[in-house]
Amino acid sequence: MAGQQPPPEPREDDAPQPPNSGQGMVAVSYLFAGLVVWGGAGWLVDQWLGTKGIAFAIGAVLGAAAGVYLIVRRLGA
Amino acid sequence: MTGQSIVLAADVPFPPSVEDFYLPSILPWGEHGSYWFTKIMVLAWLSVAILIVFFLVSYRKPQLVPTKKQWLAESVYGFVRNNIAVDMIGKEGVRFAPYLTTLFSFILIMNMWAIVPLAQISPNSHIAFPIILAVISYVMFIYVGFQKHGPSYLKHALVPPAPWFILPILVPIEFFSNFIVRPFSLAVRLFANMFAGHMLLLVFTLGGFAMVSANGLLAPVSVLSWAMVVALTFLDFAVIVLQAYVFTVLTASYIQGSLAEGH
Repeated sequence: MAGQQPPPEPREDDAPQPPNSGQGMVAVSYLFAGLVVWGGAGWLVDQWLGTKGIAFAIGAVLGAAAGVYLIVRRLGA
Repeated sequence: MTGQSIVLAADVPFPPSVEDFYLPSILPWGEHGSYWFTKIMVLAWLSVAILIVFFLVSYRKPQLVPTKKQWLAESVYGFVRNNIAVDMIGKEGVRFAPYLTTLFSFILIMNMWAIVPLAQISPNSHIAFPIILAVISYVMFIYVGFQKHGPSYLKHALVPPAPWFILPILVPIEFFSNFIVRPFSLAVRLFANMFAGHMLLLVFTLGGFAMVSANGLLAPVSVLSWAMVVALTFLDFAVIVLQAYVFTVLTASYIQGSLAEGH
């Protein structure tokens, strides 16, 4: 069983694609992480300066944008 | 309405709660608040035993023309090695095939208890089991990364290909996504699916009893509810297999990420 070789032919372009659910999860986790990290940072700034959600909003938008950018860089063509 | 079913329904607790996941203690028998040895524990050990015995027995005397057991074992191993390990990781994936196969079969067996008659609860519906599995995968992909790249693995994992002035924004996201969200989502995904599956079956089964005992006219609805249980059991089967597969694929994909060459 363990001694067998993997399939000799490497994947060709017309071969079935490998399971891509990993990539989907990566994309979702980048989006989520962007929102949480920079939204969270913005929220902390809000607490610190006593502003009411402005920093949080900026942080969340910035984080989501950065998440999208990361997805494009890491997973894009 | 017969008296018997009312008696039966009267002691059915509804709605089900998290308490229903804490089964009574087996040893010491029936003791309250003691969760060291319950059905969950029995099923977990049984899963380990089945896994070990099955693969040992079916590969004890390998035949050129495989026996039925050997064929099954080889199919499972071949599936994980070719369709998960090699497909996701590449040639190096063969090295991880034994671990991934063990992971896949273990999660599959553990999940399968959710719909095996008399067992009917999966140990994975307690988050402790998925957490440990996720921690193993977590430590593994980090270790593999350091083994492959040395200390520059951190740069590899944290610094995306981007202009330097955006990096301060991107690096925290990478860190959060790679080292915090990954193990968390691995564990929670498996746990939540098994928890919800068990909860659904409980709601529909017990709900049928609750409706019958509330009003005899609701009996047809109860029957519908129990028919739904059968349908949901098939749904649960699909979820069981899918979650075992997803967990394995994601572990393989994280290992692949650790092994990948620089950008």
